[in-house]
Amino acid sequence: MSEIGKLALFLGFLCSCYAVGAFAVGLRTGMAGPLRSGRRAVWIVCGLTVLATIILVRALVARDFSYRYVAEHTSLDLPKMYAFSSLWAGQEGSLLLWLLILSAYGAVFLWAYRKRLDPFYDAVAMVVASVMVFFTSLLSFVSPPFRILATPPPDGNGLNPLLQDPGMMIHPPILYTGYVGFIIPFAFGIAVLIMNRSGTRWIEEVRRWTLFNWMFLGFGVLLGARWAYIELGWGGYWGWDPVENASLMPWLVGTAFLHSVMIEQRRGMLKTWNVVLIVLTFELSIFGTFLTRSGVLTSVHSFAESNIGPWFMAFILGSSTIATALILYRKALLESENRMDAVVSREGSFLFNNVLFVALAFATFLGTTFPILSEAVTGSKISVSAPFFNRVNVPIALVLLMLTGIGPVLSWKRATASVMKRNFIIPIFVGIVATLACLPFGLHGIYPIICVFGAAFVMSTVVMEFARGVQARKDIEPPATPAALLHLVQKNKRRYGGYIVHVGVVMIFVGVLGSSVFQKEAHAPLQPGQSMAIGPYALTLQKVEEKQILNATQTRAEVQVSRDGKRLTDMYPAKAMYTKSQQPMTEVALHQTAAEDLYLILGGVNEDGSASIQAYINPLVGFVWMGGIVMVIGTIICLADRMRLRREEKLLVSEEKLLAS
Amino acid sequence: MTLVSIRHLTARRTIRGVRLLAALIAIPAILAASAPSAVATESAAGRKDPARAITSQLICPCSCGEILSGCTCETGKSMQGYVTNELSKGKGKEEITAALVAKYGEVILGAPKAEGFNLIVWIAPFVATAIGFVFAALVLRRWVKRRAMAGPGGLATAGAPLTAAAEQDQVDRRARVEAELKRLRE
Repeated sequence: MSEIGKLALFLGFLCSCYAVGAFAVGLRTGMAGPLRSGRRAVWIVCGLTVLATIILVRALVARDFSYRYVAEHTSLDLPKMYAFSSLWAGQEGSLLLWLLILSAYGAVFLWAYRKRLDPFYDAVAMVVASVMVFFTSLLSFVSPPFRILATPPPDGNGLNPLLQDPGMMIHPPILYTGYVGFIIPFAFGIAVLIMNRSGTRWIEEVRRWTLFNWMFLGFGVLLGARWAYIELGWGGYWGWDPVENASLMPWLVGTAFLHSVMIEQRRGMLKTWNVVLIVLTFELSIFGTFLTRSGVLTSVHSFAESNIGPWFMAFILGSSTIATALILYRKALLESENRMDAVVSREGSFLFNNVLFVALAFATFLGTTFPILSEAVTGSKISVSAPFFNRVNVPIALVLLMLTGIGPVLSWKRATASVMKRNFIIPIFVGIVATLACLPFGLHGIYPIICVFGAAFVMSTVVMEFARGVQARKDIEPPATPAALLHLVQKNKRRYGGYIVHVGVVMIFVGVLGSSVFQKEAHAPLQPGQSMAIGPYALTLQKVEEKQILNATQTRAEVQVSRDGKRLTDMYPAKAMYTKSQQPMTEVALHQTAAEDLYLILGGVNEDGSASIQAYINPLVGFVWMGGIVMVIGTIICLADRMRLRREEKLLVSEEKLLAS
Repeated sequence: MTLVSIRHLTARRTIRGVRLLAALIAIPAILAASAPSAVATESAAGRKDPARAITSQLICPCSCGEILSGCTCETGKSMQGYVTNELSKGKGKEEITAALVAKYGEVILGAPKAEGFNLIVWIAPFVATAIGFVFAALVLRRWVKRRAMAGPGGLATAGAPLTAAAEQDQVDRRARVEAELKRLRE
């Protein structure tokens, strides 16, 4: 079977090369045959990758230890579902997952545009196929997943215990769907340059693809944070780890693009800038994979270290050079008549929003890579971690939060003083009142104050926008009914979907603020029967017991929790010693409510029999997760808007009819 | 109103506009950027735990790479114990941190000291943001001026450049449709 897998990947490589060649010939000569053949080759690569993945998954689930990858990442005592998810536990499997999603995107793209005979879409497919060449060659020659061991071991090394978590079953595929998906906007951008194609239709198509990928990437990032919260056991969820940063960077630049693309759609401006943002987003997503998989930087996530680094660097340098050369070559195509009515307008605020998003991505990039740079220059090792990013990124993010409130309520073209007064006086007032109201609860420090003010300010601008919209529809239906609100959103999905996304962003800011600034912590060694207090909670250790679970021995503390004297629940923080790795793993106990989480960790059992219990109260942390869900809902509403595309489609079809007649 | 006075008025409005938008964005930015030391002590003061004020700024010296305050590995725990112990001996934050840096090297600091080559990492993000802002403001001013130079006629035919682009788009699209139909017939 392994031979078939190897062959599938090698044939995939050949087919990808063929697809690129066929598309190139077809586009150059205008012949339909090679283009059709190229499209088929992309389908075949997809089929071959599915076959290779099935073979590897089968081997993983069957624990066929003759496969080196299986022996390295699974063991006999590993539960079946984790045997399946160990597909993305190592480098080779992760790259295979990358290729699988990439080829699936290629196939979905061709399916979506199967009725379109415009060679422009073939040019897009050619770019996708070029990236396929890179990944199939990596999997065939550099990092093959189907290496066979001469003497298979009786049992495998087992899966890293950190990855034995249900979150890890869905986090990587969702994250990768976002990461890899940026290939489509990138391919559109490059195809526009190759084909010297003017017009704005492609930008609407790209916007939708980007929105889709952006949603997955954002959701994937939050799932990763949730995983860290539950699995790493340090009381937080975002540590500015290089791999976390790697996933954040393309998301930030993608967000900048999603805003500036609106200006191009409305005003035909910023064409070059938008192409630059698309290219940058894609390159950063490749860079993210490179960071995760090359092991260049020390990180809790870099489970696999290998020599694929130079290949990735070469690909990033090569593809960005080609993109830059194309942008320069097609300068005339991207020239636009940039004129604006006023600085204080939505366009103006979007431009500043772009500066901030890119600056935030730049700060993250610089901080993440600086240890290597510094070591190369000064010769001494340094760390750039959370204490740095909290000081540099947080102020930039807070200014962005303010812009989230300012931008959408400024009118396009020109915001008059009276409109600004009408739109801003109430939100500023609400912001001040909210800040004053929070002061008695211990709010202090300039960042938290700006954050509370900003959150209240943005929320009130959004609420006012909804209220104004409902009010404007009062002739059609009575205002302030849920139906009116629903119809309002239905009528203008892009606008109100966007506002809902902003509500999600505010919720995340509130959650981060609450869980960082107002976090409470206590720790104590407890003998059975002893209690400790944290906030309104009293924690009494009942007993400590040892339990054998599937592939680990668990030391579990039973803690009785009371709140304000009333018994609330029992919690079970534990430490698990996995048989294979012999590493102690923290298993957090969580009691979640809308207002706060009670987060318990068993530090260990001391020689005198006492258990070290570490407790955190994380206020409002649930807002981070809820905010993520609200953002996804908002994005789905934006994606549901097909009005503009339909209008264009109708126009195109009628023109085709006209010409045919 | 003469054309000159309209231009003059528009230019004045532009400058006022740039200032207003810059002020809206810059005030929180300046407040935030000027407060790095405030936040550094804030997280500590918020928790009222001097040990955490030290450990939250350090990295566990083993290979786990975690921030020391939240580290659950054995090295991390013994280091946390060391910091608490030193504090109980009456040593200060600077003294304890300096001793740890002397033992493990600067790599133990969660953020590098803002000196020498490492100053770049502290300054570059803010300098880049400032340059970005200035550039954006200049570009905006130029675009608004260009619009103003088009005069009242330019304002009246606000959609002119777009219409030209749209026309080009129509021509292109027609050519594409023809090419597609040709392929369809093949």
